[in-house]
Amino acid sequence: MEYLLNQLVNGISQGAIYALMAIGYSVVVGVTGLITFTHGEVIMIGAFASFYIFQFFGNNLILGIAASFIASWLIGMFIYYVCYDRFFEAPSHISLICTIGASMLIKNLAQIYFGPNQKPMLNIIDNKVFRIGVLQISLIQIVILVTVIVLAGILAFFINNTRWGIMLRTVSQDKKAAYLMGVNVRRTAMIGNCIGCGLAGIAGMLISIYYQTLQATMGGPLGMKAFSSSVLGGLTDTRFSALGGLAIGLIENLGITISTASFRDIFAFGFLIAVLIIRPEGFASKKGARP
Amino acid sequence: MNEIIIRLKRFYENHKIITILIGSILLLLMPVIFPKSYIMGIICRILLYMILAGGLNVINGYSSQFCIGYAGFFCIGAYTEAILAVKLKINFWLLLPVAGIFTAVAGLLLCLPTLKLKGKYLALVTLGFSEIVRLVALNWSSLTGGPMGLKGIPVPRIFGIQFKSSLSYYYIFLLLVVVFLFVTRRVINSRIGRAWMSIREDEQAARSLGVDTYKYKALNFMYGAFWAGIAGAAYAPYTRYIDSTFFTLDEGFNILSMVIIGGMGTLVGPMAGSVVVNFLTELLRPISEYRMVAYAILIIAMMWLRPQGLFGASNSILAGRKINKKIRKAKKEVAA
Repeated sequence: MEYLLNQLVNGISQGAIYALMAIGYSVVVGVTGLITFTHGEVIMIGAFASFYIFQFFGNNLILGIAASFIASWLIGMFIYYVCYDRFFEAPSHISLICTIGASMLIKNLAQIYFGPNQKPMLNIIDNKVFRIGVLQISLIQIVILVTVIVLAGILAFFINNTRWGIMLRTVSQDKKAAYLMGVNVRRTAMIGNCIGCGLAGIAGMLISIYYQTLQATMGGPLGMKAFSSSVLGGLTDTRFSALGGLAIGLIENLGITISTASFRDIFAFGFLIAVLIIRPEGFASKKGARP
Repeated sequence: MNEIIIRLKRFYENHKIITILIGSILLLLMPVIFPKSYIMGIICRILLYMILAGGLNVINGYSSQFCIGYAGFFCIGAYTEAILAVKLKINFWLLLPVAGIFTAVAGLLLCLPTLKLKGKYLALVTLGFSEIVRLVALNWSSLTGGPMGLKGIPVPRIFGIQFKSSLSYYYIFLLLVVVFLFVTRRVINSRIGRAWMSIREDEQAARSLGVDTYKYKALNFMYGAFWAGIAGAAYAPYTRYIDSTFFTLDEGFNILSMVIIGGMGTLVGPMAGSVVVNFLTELLRPISEYRMVAYAILIIAMMWLRPQGLFGASNSILAGRKINKKIRKAKKEVAA
């Protein structure tokens, strides 16, 4: 029971990171309307940016967050111009292949310039463990939860209450109508894509702090997790995507308790396929919604 | 580019018998022309990927269901052959169709619940399926050898000939490619193939014209999976050792990029894609580290300049913006 409860805490903190990635992913998919496979590489770039910042400027979490956000924003701009800008009207598999190509490009360049080996992340946060009854919760987990909640709050405020957020929402609902209303669709799509990528970069920093390692090839499986959490939430809905991320984190960590850690991904993908079979459009499917 | 292809086609149609004759003699004498096993190894790989890319093209190119996790089917075929051959000592020639049928059944099981899913969701499910298959192969140690892999897969033999090196194994791959091309050509030109293509162009229109789209989509998935199983079953005794690292998602992306570069929706496309990609990866070997970088840039450039691929069906929905232009032009002509 005690083990199960602690696994629950681990699941929630890991799910929070997945939720942040999935929020970023659903923002990207929402504004561009096309799925992407570069998300894992963006996460990796964010992790490396914060790693180098921590190495040169010391333990400053805020600076690390800013650095990973800016680095992944720039990568997001690159991805936008390579994969999306020309292909809004083309069939969607073309830009999909483009994102696969771009992800290969970024991954291999990162392997060349950052080195192929695993690097230990610096100890940014003291590994203090708090005990509440039988529950154990570490300081890292608390920092992760707080960061994710704060960021999600900022994003929600941005999307719901600012002019830019309204533009983002119109673009993700209907590009042609947005264009008719005088929204600069291409620029808005680029900014939305970059915001999603920036959130993914911060998630990359958090996950490299959580696992204490980072590697140039770490992006692949994480990108898959972000993709599947976002699909669970219906791809474009940020709130349900966050829920999907939490669910996948929980399922993984609870699945480990009944078997070994090597089956972690089987639980994640099996859960995903099961949900998709029952609800073909994820949690968020509405009756009468546009396909 | 289009002109070169048209000229090649015209040349082939004018001198059909001679080109086929010369081509088949050249293909049969390949091990004599290149007696080095290194070069024959490359050619064997090209032939293997021809089957894989061709099979994926049947799914992606002809019915436009987007399957990304094709490596999962490849994995199932290879492990079926390897396990049955090592543990039960069954003959290779019997196992070849068995592995194919087993993989086709796996494809059916995957697509039965997912027929309702479209585009992105289907792509994700195949992706998850591929990962699950690989992880099961990695972790089910008692059956698949786990991370150690399966060793000592017996080589096929017939009439006392052992297909041991790539020089002789070449003929098995060649036979399979020829059979694949023959059968697929027949299927594509039949009622089934036309149904698949109608689903690709417009699924609702196809259904309204009386095409049972669920049935044909399931059939399509099974057919594609079948050839992945055959390719896997031929691949396992070729290397005589398999483990789960051969069947990662990157392998699936690799096959997919061959299909895309060669062109979807034609029989020649994936063949050309396989030749081009494998040839390029060998050609780029000297710049070792930057090999994959160059490859990635090639994929992106291909999508920018010629989205339907080298030999793609330029008169279908796959060609992207160009088809829109064509339609617009046709509309203008009608209006004028």
